[in-house]
Order: sequence, then structure tokens, then C-alpha cells
Amino acid sequence: MSNLETFSYDNRIVRKFAYVTAIWGIVGMTVGLLAALQMVWPIFNLGLAETTFGRIRPLHTNAVIFAFVGNGIFTGVYYSLQRLLKSRMYSDVLSNIHFWGWQAIILAAAITLPLGITSSHEYAELEWPIDIAIAGIWVVFGINMFGTILKRREQHLYVAIWFFIATWVTVTVLHIGNNLELPVSLWKSYPVFAGVQDALVQWWYGHNAVAFFLTTPYLGLMYYFIPKAANRPVYSYRLSIIHFWALIFIYIWAGPHHLLYTSLPDWAQSLGMAFSLMLIAPSWGGMLNGLLTLRGAWDRVRTDPVLKFMVVAVTAYGMSTLEGPLMSIKSVNAISHYTDWTVGHVHIGTLGWNGMLTFGMLYWLFPRLYGNKLYSTKLANAHFWIGTFGILFYAIPLYWAGWTQSLMWKEFLPEGILKYGNFLETVTQILPMYKLRVVGGTIYLVGVFVMMYNLVKTAKTGKFVGDEEVQAPSREVAFTGGHKGEYWHRWIERRPVQLLIGATIAILIGGLVEVFPMITIEDNVPKIESVKPYTALELEGRDMYIREGCLGCHSQMIRPFRSETERYGEYSKSGEFIYDRPFLWGSKRTGPDLHRLGGKYPDSWHFNHMYDPTSTSPGSIMPPYPWFIEDDLDLGMTIAKLKTLKTLGTPYTDEYIENAVEEAKAQAAVIAASLNKDGIEMEGLADKEIIALIAYLQRLGTDIKPPAQAEAAE
Amino acid sequence: MKTNIIKFSLTFLLLCILGSAYANDAGTAQAGTSSDWLSWIFENLILIVGAIAVIGAVGAIFNLNNQLMELNRIRVLKEHGIEVAEKVAIQHKQSLWQRWYKDMTKAVPVEKEADVMLDHNYDGIRELDNILPPWWVGMFYATIIAGVVYFSYYHIADKGLSSSEQYLVEVEEAEEEVKAYLAMQSDQVDENTVVMLEDENELALGASIFINKCAVCHGAEGEGGVGPNMTDNYFLHGGSINDVFRTIKYGVPEKGMISWKSQLRSSDMQRVASYILTLVGNTPANPKAPEGELYQPTEEDEATEAADDQLGMNE
Repeated sequence: MSNLETFSYDNRIVRKFAYVTAIWGIVGMTVGLLAALQMVWPIFNLGLAETTFGRIRPLHTNAVIFAFVGNGIFTGVYYSLQRLLKSRMYSDVLSNIHFWGWQAIILAAAITLPLGITSSHEYAELEWPIDIAIAGIWVVFGINMFGTILKRREQHLYVAIWFFIATWVTVTVLHIGNNLELPVSLWKSYPVFAGVQDALVQWWYGHNAVAFFLTTPYLGLMYYFIPKAANRPVYSYRLSIIHFWALIFIYIWAGPHHLLYTSLPDWAQSLGMAFSLMLIAPSWGGMLNGLLTLRGAWDRVRTDPVLKFMVVAVTAYGMSTLEGPLMSIKSVNAISHYTDWTVGHVHIGTLGWNGMLTFGMLYWLFPRLYGNKLYSTKLANAHFWIGTFGILFYAIPLYWAGWTQSLMWKEFLPEGILKYGNFLETVTQILPMYKLRVVGGTIYLVGVFVMMYNLVKTAKTGKFVGDEEVQAPSREVAFTGGHKGEYWHRWIERRPVQLLIGATIAILIGGLVEVFPMITIEDNVPKIESVKPYTALELEGRDMYIREGCLGCHSQMIRPFRSETERYGEYSKSGEFIYDRPFLWGSKRTGPDLHRLGGKYPDSWHFNHMYDPTSTSPGSIMPPYPWFIEDDLDLGMTIAKLKTLKTLGTPYTDEYIENAVEEAKAQAAVIAASLNKDGIEMEGLADKEIIALIAYLQRLGTDIKPPAQAEAAE
Repeated sequence: MKTNIIKFSLTFLLLCILGSAYANDAGTAQAGTSSDWLSWIFENLILIVGAIAVIGAVGAIFNLNNQLMELNRIRVLKEHGIEVAEKVAIQHKQSLWQRWYKDMTKAVPVEKEADVMLDHNYDGIRELDNILPPWWVGMFYATIIAGVVYFSYYHIADKGLSSSEQYLVEVEEAEEEVKAYLAMQSDQVDENTVVMLEDENELALGASIFINKCAVCHGAEGEGGVGPNMTDNYFLHGGSINDVFRTIKYGVPEKGMISWKSQLRSSDMQRVASYILTLVGNTPANPKAPEGELYQPTEEDEATEAADDQLGMNE
């Protein structure tokens, strides 16, 4: 037992991840600020396709989630894992492959997303070659982590590591499940699932990206850094056990709460809502264990910026994990969905929980990596207040905006018509709130710059210790079992493999119960005879809609509410989406829903609207899309696309595929002629991209006749 | 002491009488609109909260008085040389709230945490063996029960309405409300009853609607754009006030004219239709070529117009 071994912790890899965390944080938040500006002043779209909101928004979300928080996770994991296991990382080579690989993926995302290369699945926008790279690097991380766990010197695994293990296995499952796609070319693919099924899989993923990328790994970090920073014992070991297993088991079920009142079958919606309610307690278990660990250290919270950051982080976690389940109640969701309420909610979680915990962690970490004291506690305290005010200035206006807009959408005049029949009125009403949001975001970002300065100064005045030498006894591999009366859970804490298997089973159950019947039982998506596949030209238009990220602002899912059917037309039916690969229901209405847009306006309206949205909708904040009119439509991949879709099950005939280009050109000629009739003349009009887009937009929602028209026709 | 009790009781009684008199007042004023006790509570919430506060305050004063009397008694007895066992009047007792709080948290105090310290040590991190907070466990069970009940109610017992059934109910209820409202209104017009408005204020309202909603396609001066010219005498869908009203109300979707009936009330459609017809004969800067047929009023219209002219001449 007493054979002390001397070894060293790898601090170099921690430092690398720590720096890029801060840098990507600044980049991601700056892009977010740009997006916020674009939502007030369309001029900030800069007139370029690459910098238009629809492409900037996924860039922002991917950058802050996978670059900022992602690197934050790795910083914390690489630091804490070595110390909790009393072991250097399994392989320095793998550590470095992981680091550089992950940065390369981020760079690839930063290039491809502005280029419009996207699968349109929210937070999984990256195309298939990058998806494969992510899977590869994630496996490298897994091998490195499990390698370290297996050669550990500590007998038992601490709760933080349970969370890391659950994170790793769940992200693997989710990433693969949601990126099952068939490539058309190097940068284009279609998902295996269509319509409702695609939607369910996407939000099973999307919700659990929040759960297992933004939450569980950060809970692991919380369990390490709060007790360390406060120098206090963890409040309750039993609470750790119960809330860990309950959290990972229940979280996975809650995905359908992103699809309440959509065409998803009611039973799946209800499951999503019921399990979301059950999530309150397991989530709060984490908050309680964090906050109660600070018992006896509250006097230090007043002076120590690290603890301050962590207190606000954990509180924000508690607030947003209470708010989330409340928003999952169907009647609340009827108000909150598609509005800025959701955006406000998300930012309480990200700016509050992830942001503040990351900052607290970095302030704690840097003096330890550099063997000195923090350059300025005063500046760190200042950052704390700047950050906190930033969050308030960001979130409160958005809550206000969300509630205001939702009420305006739903308000009827006693005559039975919508009070705000023009969607734009509800947008201009909340523009002042969008301006305040810009202020909030700016404040928060300023705080990050303050931190960066402080950290760099700390690094400059200290001396970095790359390999931190320590001593620890080796682990008794033939452990003869715990002492009598120990907790039953100690058993699995000694067995990482069993723990991994247990966690995998826990997270698979919910996913299987919900996703499997949706894919296999046809009754879940009633067929509608009149629904036909898109024509070649419409498909090209649809792919442009995906490329430009239109779904960032426009939903294609009319919910069964009077206020929506009155505004948009008959509510959406699941059978209408069976050829939608990917589904494009969207999750936010900055502009109106488009599912029944087809036939609502003349072709020329769309032409003018795309060239300059304010020409048809004065005061609109939609960016102009002149390149649709300038650029020629590329039909070079049309046949390959149709063939791929046919492989996936869309019933195109071979004859149609063969003649697809001619068919597309014929349809384009008809649309060009209709534009000519309305006085729009230009050279090569029929060959422009805008024609395909118009073809798609005019097709939307027209496969089923609204009942009123059907009656009239009889 | 007795006099004090009587004083307090009297004051309290007086307050109650005043309160109930006020309550009666409020009650009669509201009579007819709301009879059930729940809404009575709601309407008199301030009064009720006030009454509770007053009762609490009276109780507190009463209690304080008793304690002072007790101290006084001890002092008097002491003066007479009688030692009283120090049964201190002001004795610290845990309040209901404190006891409840303790029951709900069951946390081992920080001073005694060594008792529940586990032998775990991970990089210096220790773990306590506090039990699960009872309120937390209660909440967990409550949400699980809520979830099970909710799902069973809707999908096992099949009692609740599905989303699409809810929608039908919502629409039906709304339609009835609208019907009831419209029955009470006298100024409802439709395409059959609509007449041309002449009043300048009405036309000005029509003009502002036109600028906001129509000018995008038909031009600010009605010169036409995506939509046809409104200043010539040619109409695609008829040029009478009834025709224009109908075109606005139902739209001509195949030509791109949207239906406005969900965005404009009928009186507003009448205003804008009237305004549009006043544009005929204007000469805007860039007129679009005429479309449709030359509008010639029918005999009936001519007759009324002739009658109008007659009236004008007579005046």
C-alpha cells in the first residue's frame, strides 16, 4: 500500500484548452453581438451572403456551444480528471490530437457555415465530413479519458467523473443518431429520416445537446471546482447519487417538449411534457449540492470572485432548470414557443450557468497553473458585476419582448379578426427590446475582455509549471471489496466499465421508447394522398432555403390554434412532411410562419421582396437577398440529389430523374413568364436562383386544400 | 388587566363591524355579477389581508401586555420579599416556521458535520452524508405523480381532448362569441349592403389604411405597381363599391391579391374601398396601363347617380 509513486500532471494541455476557451468565447460572443445588431438594423448584414443573419446565427450557436463551452469542458476535465484519479492523462499524444483536432473542427465550422454549407439541424448544422471528424475526435477523447480511468491510482470514481462518463457516452449516441445522412456530394447530404421523424430525432438530439453538452459536463466541473474553491465538503453524497442517475435517465425523454402542439403525435408530446416536469427535482439536486456545499463559506463569497461567479452560475442553473419544465407545460408553451422568451431562457442558462462557471473556473485555474496569485482580484470582481448586469440587460428585455409579441399574435378584435393582422406590427413593437438586448450582450462581452486582460497579466507575472510533480500510492488492483456497511453505490464506483454500461442503459431507454415507435409504426404519420414529392426546381429552391438559414427566423409549422389558423391558414398535418428531408419546422418566428405561403402572393411579390424586403413590407428587418437575382441557378447536382432522395425512399420515377434538368427548366420558364407579365424583365431571368426559390415558396403548404376552399370546390 | 381585555375586545369588535359593513357594501355593489364565494374572496382580498394583519397585531399587543404584567407581578412579589422561581416570561421558543424549516431540510448543522463526514477523499474533496432534503424528495414525488397522472388522463384513460379536438372547441367557442358580438352591432356591412362613404373623416381613415396596406402593390397614389392602376376607369373585378369591397374582402389569390378579411374589420374595408373609388380620375406621375374592362355603372347605379345629380341641382 505504501509504495508511493512519483508522477506528474500534464498542465500544458489544460493551459491550451483554457486559452482557446477564452478566445473562442470572445469570437462566439462577438458573432452573437453581430446577430443581435442585425435583428435591429438590417444594414449589419453587410450586404454579403456570408454575413447574413441566417448564416451568422448557426455560426454563433456553434461557436459558443462547441468552441467556447466545449473547450471549457475539456479544460476542466483535463485538469480535474488527472487530480481526481491521481494519474497523468493516459496519452499526451492523444491529448494533443484531441486539442488540435477539435480546433480544426471549429475552424472548419467557421468556414463552412458562412458559406451556407449546412444540414439545417439546429446545433448539428455541420455537414457529414465534419460530422465524421467530430466522431473521430470524440472517440480520441473517450479513449484518453477511459485510459486514464483504467490506470488510475484512486480506488473509487468521484461524482464528477460519473458525469464525464455519462456525457461522453450520450454525446456519442446523440451525435451519431442525429447525423444519419446520405451524402450527395462532399458538402451536401440528406438525412435518413424525413418530416415528423426527422423532427423528433433532431429535438431528441437538440434537447440533449443542452442536457449532455451544456449541463452534465458542467455539473461535473461544478462538483470539482466548487468544493475546491470553497474548501468545503460536498453537502450530500446521497444526493449526488440520486440526482445523477435520475438526471441522466429522465433528461433523455424530454426532447419532444420542443415540439408541443406541432404535428408530432400527442402521445409523444405528452411524454415530453411529463418527463420535463419530473426533471425539476433532479436538476435542482445539482443546484442544492452546489449551493449547500458553500455552507460555512458564505462569508468568503463576499470577497472571493471565484465563489461569486460560481454562486451566480449555480443559481442561474437552478432558475433555468425550473423555467424549462414550466415552459414545457403545453399551455405555457403555447405562449412561449416561437418567441424571444425561449431565447431569453436559453441565455440565462448559457450566459449564467456556462459562462459564469467557466469564468470562475478560469480565475481559479490560472493562478494555480502559473503558481502565483491572480493579477487583480478587483478586476475579477468588476468582471463579476459586469457579467451579472450583462445577463440581466440581455434576458429581461427578451422576456418582455417574448410576452409582448406572443400576446399580440393571439389578440382578436371582437369582430373575430386578428388585432395585429400584419405580422410586422408585432416585430416593430419589440424592436426597442432588441436594442436593449444589444446593450446587454455588449456589457457581457466587455466583461470577457476584462477577464482576458486579467488572465494574460496573471500568466505574465507567474511561472508556468508544465509538468506538476506529485506522489501517490498505486492502486491495489485486486481490491477485495469495500468495508462492511459501505454504500451500495460504492460497488459501481470501483467499476468504470459497469458504470459506463449502466449510464448507457439509462440514457438509451427514453430515446428508444420515443424514437423507435415513431420510425417503425406507420400509424404515427397518417398518409395524405394529395401530398407529392417536390419537383426538381422546387427541391433546388428548398436547398437554397436551407443554405440561407431561412429557418432561423421562419417556422413552417402552424399550430392548431385559432390565432394561427386565422393568420396563416389550416394547421399543419404530419402527413404533409413525409418528403421533407430535412424537416424545416424551425423554432423561432422572427418573421411569419411560411407553411401555407404558397399562392398567397404573386411571383413578382417574392421577387421584389427578396431583392429588398422593405419594398413590399416597409419597416421589415429581413435582410435583402440580391444574390438570388444575380446568381445563376446551378442544376449540376439536381440529378444526383434526386437519386439520393430516391434511395432514401422518395418515390421519384427513373424517367423523371433522367429528365429532371429539362423539367426544372420548363417550370422555370413558366415562373419567368409570370414575372415578365408583372413587368419584371432581365436577361437570363429564367436561369436565376430566385426562380427556384419562388417555385419552392409557391409550393409550400399547397398539397392539401384548406377546408374552406375544398368546400367551395364541391 | 380586565379593563385592558375589555378595551382590546371592544376595539377589535369595532374593527370587525367596520370591516363587515364595508364588505357588505362591496358585496351589494357586486351583487348580481358575482355570487360565488371565491370571487367574493378575490374582490375583498385587501380587506381580508387587512383583517388578518389587524388580528395578528392585536394578538401581538395582547401577548406583550401579558408578559409585561408577568414581569410586573414578579417585581411586586420581589418587593414583598418573595422569591419567585425565575420562570422567565420572555422564553425563546421555536416558531412554527423554524420548526417546519427544520423538518423540511433536515440538514446536519455545519458545527456537527464531522458526524456525517464520509471517509471519501478525492484530491482533498470530502463528502458529507447529509440525507436528501425532505422537501426535495417531496417535490420529486409530486412531479412524478403529476407526470403519471397527466399521461394516464390523456392517453390511458383517454379523458382529455387531443390537440386537434381542443382546436375545434376553441374555434367553435370563438365563432359563437363573434356571432353574439356582431348581433349587437348595427354598423356591420358586407359586400351586398356596403355603400360609398362620402364623409371626409371616413375617407381620410380610408386613405391611411390605403397607405399602410395597399400602397405597396398599388402605389402611394394608386398609380399601380405589382397590382393594377386604381386611378383609371378600368377594373378587373368590377368597379362598383360592392365589387371593390368584395375584391378586398376575399382577394383574388390566383392574381396575388390577398384576402383582407382577417386583417381589416368590415367598416375599415368599407372606408378603404370608398377611398379607392375617389382615386378614379386622378393623374399620378407614373400610371400603369389600364387593365380589365371599362367600368360602366349599371342602370340602377345611373339612376341613383342621376337622382343625386338632381338633388345637387336643386340645392
